[in-house]
Amino acid sequence: MPSLIILVPLLGLIILNMPIGNFMRRGAFWFAIALFSAQVLLAVFHHSLAWTGKLPPVDALFKVGFTIDHLTFIMFICIGLVSFSSLLVARHAMGDEGELFKFINLLIIASVGMSGIVMVKDIFSLYIFLEITSIASFILIAFRKDVYGLEGAFKYLVLSAVATILMLTSIALFILVSGDTSFSTIGASLQSGNRVIVMLAIGIFICGLFIKGGVVPFHGWLPDAYMSAPAPVSILLAGIITKAAGIYTLIRITSAVFGFIEPVKAILMLAGTVSILFGAFAALGQNDFKRMLAYSSISQIGYIVLGAGTGTALGIAGAVFHLFNHSVFKSLLFVNASAVEKELKTNDMNRMGGLSYRMPITSATSMVGFLSTCGIPPLSGFWSKLLILIALWQTGHFAYATIAVLASVLTLAYFLMMQRKVFFGKLALGLENVKERGAGIMFVSIALAFITIGAGIFFPVIYNNFLLPIKEILVK
Amino acid sequence: MSDNILILPILIPLAAGLAILATPKKWRGVKEAIALLATLASLGITLLLFGKSLFYSIPWAGFGISFSLRLYPFSAFIIAATAIFGFLTVLYSSSFLFKKDYAKLFYAYLLVSLSFITGATLSDNLILLLFFWEGLLVTLFGMIALGNKGAFKTATKAFIIVGLCDVCLMVGIAIAGHMSGTFEMSKMNIPIMGVGGIAFLLMMIGAIAKGGSMPFHSWIPDAAIDAPLPFMAIFPAALEKLLSIYFLARISLDIFKMAPESWLSYTLMTIGAITIVFAVMMALVQKDFKRLLSYHAISQLGYMILGIGTLVPAGIVGGLFHMVNNAMYKSCLFMTGGAVEKEAGTTDLAKLGGIGTRMPVTFACFIITALAISGVPPFNGFFSKELVYDGALERGFIFYLAAVVGSFFTAASFLKLGHAAFMGKLQERNRGVREVAWPMLIPMIVIALGCILFGIFNAFPLNHLIQPSISETRLHGESFAGFPTNMTLVIVTVVVLVGALLNHLYGVKKTGNGLGAVDHIHYAPGLSWIYKKAEKGYLDPYNLWWGIINVFSAVMSWIDKAIDWLYNDFATGVANGLAITLKKLHTGSYKIYILWSIAAAIAILVFLLKAGA
Repeated sequence: MPSLIILVPLLGLIILNMPIGNFMRRGAFWFAIALFSAQVLLAVFHHSLAWTGKLPPVDALFKVGFTIDHLTFIMFICIGLVSFSSLLVARHAMGDEGELFKFINLLIIASVGMSGIVMVKDIFSLYIFLEITSIASFILIAFRKDVYGLEGAFKYLVLSAVATILMLTSIALFILVSGDTSFSTIGASLQSGNRVIVMLAIGIFICGLFIKGGVVPFHGWLPDAYMSAPAPVSILLAGIITKAAGIYTLIRITSAVFGFIEPVKAILMLAGTVSILFGAFAALGQNDFKRMLAYSSISQIGYIVLGAGTGTALGIAGAVFHLFNHSVFKSLLFVNASAVEKELKTNDMNRMGGLSYRMPITSATSMVGFLSTCGIPPLSGFWSKLLILIALWQTGHFAYATIAVLASVLTLAYFLMMQRKVFFGKLALGLENVKERGAGIMFVSIALAFITIGAGIFFPVIYNNFLLPIKEILVK
Repeated sequence: MSDNILILPILIPLAAGLAILATPKKWRGVKEAIALLATLASLGITLLLFGKSLFYSIPWAGFGISFSLRLYPFSAFIIAATAIFGFLTVLYSSSFLFKKDYAKLFYAYLLVSLSFITGATLSDNLILLLFFWEGLLVTLFGMIALGNKGAFKTATKAFIIVGLCDVCLMVGIAIAGHMSGTFEMSKMNIPIMGVGGIAFLLMMIGAIAKGGSMPFHSWIPDAAIDAPLPFMAIFPAALEKLLSIYFLARISLDIFKMAPESWLSYTLMTIGAITIVFAVMMALVQKDFKRLLSYHAISQLGYMILGIGTLVPAGIVGGLFHMVNNAMYKSCLFMTGGAVEKEAGTTDLAKLGGIGTRMPVTFACFIITALAISGVPPFNGFFSKELVYDGALERGFIFYLAAVVGSFFTAASFLKLGHAAFMGKLQERNRGVREVAWPMLIPMIVIALGCILFGIFNAFPLNHLIQPSISETRLHGESFAGFPTNMTLVIVTVVVLVGALLNHLYGVKKTGNGLGAVDHIHYAPGLSWIYKKAEKGYLDPYNLWWGIINVFSAVMSWIDKAIDWLYNDFATGVANGLAITLKKLHTGSYKIYILWSIAAAIAILVFLLKAGA
């Protein structure tokens, strides 16, 4: 059954690309919509569906052995939601049908790659799916073939290459120690293996994932890539790709393979805290809307890594929920940023102002997004930060907890600055004719804002049905 | 008679007050009619209730707080007095406030206040009493604020002073309620040791501040100038004294176990003595009719506090009798002041003079009430003061001395006031002065007659109003009606009064006019300096407090600025510095980014190998 998640999109892509007729190109959009919707719906209602059912003839095609647990469900929801948003924005932003068709192809490949990442149980397949996702992203960043896009894609490519080398080296070391690639075997053999080699392998792998996830100081590529990519791609990158490729993998590998041993926890928490502060301070100094959001992403990734670093069920639940929230509200903010960019033909916040008069929905949803990011109750961001803080307090990391709380003030500071520069105040000169973008983009903004509010208000339901079961990944 | 009739004297004025608020401004005469009818109705009911004992209680706010009203001789007497003064004041105001813009609001506030005073008097539950008591604060503010330009500031001053003292009362009530486990006054009996003493002090502050005792008095002289005159005639002069002394008597005689030897008794007597002397000294040198009266309103309260503070039968009876007498002559005096103001257009004594022949009825009422307040026999003030002297002498010569000194200056200042305002040469600007209309005369005449009757036939008020109000155990069955028995005290009083007259004649001879009759005291060496300071408001406790608060707020503002700097300049400066540094570090060169990554990777590996292997 899980293999269908990979097979259906791939077969679909092949059929869509058959030289049958132009109607296929138009069908691609609806195919993708159906695909992402199905993915979200199946994951949300996973309790009533037979996910674990086996399809022997199909599953036999794969040597990989996909498994699905509660962490995977949440990632499915994130992947589906962000891809869906990206798709709607792309349809709006790209006038040319051929361009859109190409974009949809790449988008589906990236999402298949991510779905693979969150399902695999062996380290080499993980590497394959990571590369699928990454290659799709390189092309997506350079999609417009302009100089900035190429530059951003190039930086991502170079840094990713470093990450790839690191991970391959690490995988080689793991095979050396255990003779196998599956998570459980490696995990078991790490106890008995040569400590130096094991630690080396773990360290190298973590560094590779840090690059993929954009954790400070491995983040150099991230602001450039986010800023220079086309709007729908920014949404995809910021919303899910770095999370699935870097952060999800980090949580999964640490819990399933490395185990939450003290030095790893120490590294995660330190890197998380540094990211939080670094990203927040850097965001304060930005004048470019999308670049500011990129640094904000780094800061929020820091929270996720910090939460995961506690190694407790609560901390991981908080981290995963923050990952989900971040997917939603950062997508929302990027959607709004792309709407503003399209209207104003600029990302310079100093040239904006008073847009709430002309784009009230964009302004209001941005406010929901940034308030959730800052952790204002009852929005969902509050709960995830709260879980992380409680986990930190319970494990006795008072200093980290204090920094995490205080950094929320910084978050509020740069987002308030953004909101004031862009949406509040007097309408800037020359913006009199600005209006809301089309219904598609507004739909996405409103839907994501409602998810943010709803997830906050119905937090107990989410906590009991989605977050609490995640602790199963800790049980070996 | 059913018990729930007790609600009527509270409800009728309240409903009438609200009805007046709802009446259109154009309907001339309607608001006066409503006010007169309502006060007449409550007067009728309170007279009907007189001499009865009733208890009415319904559950109200939970936690042992019930809406319980108790009618017994004391409260019946106070609400009857309230109703009488309410009616007379409304009658007076119907002429005085005729065609004034604020008349409608004034009547509304007045009637609501009457309702609240009646409610506070009838309440047997301290929380219910507090409810009415605090309501009065609002109407007090409203009535003062209706006056002239400076009225709002004065109203604020009154609100702050009385409001703060009401907070003391609230805390005191909370402590008392906690100590006795109930808020029902009739069930309370609290010893004044330790916390009980604190509770008494707090409740006492609330009680005497309502009446305007020193040091909570300073809004009254200001209000005399700024507030509408009928307000002065009924509130600081009469009703607030009634309520204040009623509550003081209740807490001193019923709620707390007070004995004459207790330190709280001395506290009360000291406050009373100080209030008498200092306020009358201020009254002496005033050059304004209403302002002079207002200081006497404060000074006379001192006699009542002193009388009750003695806790001996003569003193208590004297204090309560003085409360009634003072309410009568003081409101009448304010009314004569209002009559003068209405006709002459001013109350500045320098611009008055000689109008006594032009308004003979007013002048006659003034003479009677001035004699009464000075304590001249056989007017009512004489008898109550003699009782207070008697009680004070029993407790200590110094208190008696303060009371007698107060009498001397009271007499002196009224000689001056009457001389300056009504006698002497008629000024050119007062040629048009005539007698005022009958609605203003009737209340004055009625009250002036009352002053005579309560003096000559003092057995009636003492036997039927005052003595039944006090429990038998306090009085030991004594009766104080009739002429004072201690002839020594009477002779001293007469000597003092004659002295005041001689002093007046000396002053008039020296300066040649009535206004300057006390200049030899005013500008006496040493005193003139104090008077100068006092007149400028340096000795006003309210102003002193504001001085302290201003220093405090300056310090706070400085600290606040420092904190602001920390947040606004320092914190943002550091954050901006960091942000700019980070921005500069991101040059966009991927080589540098790779170098960062490799350096960090090496650091991580070194750490892991050291810690893990």
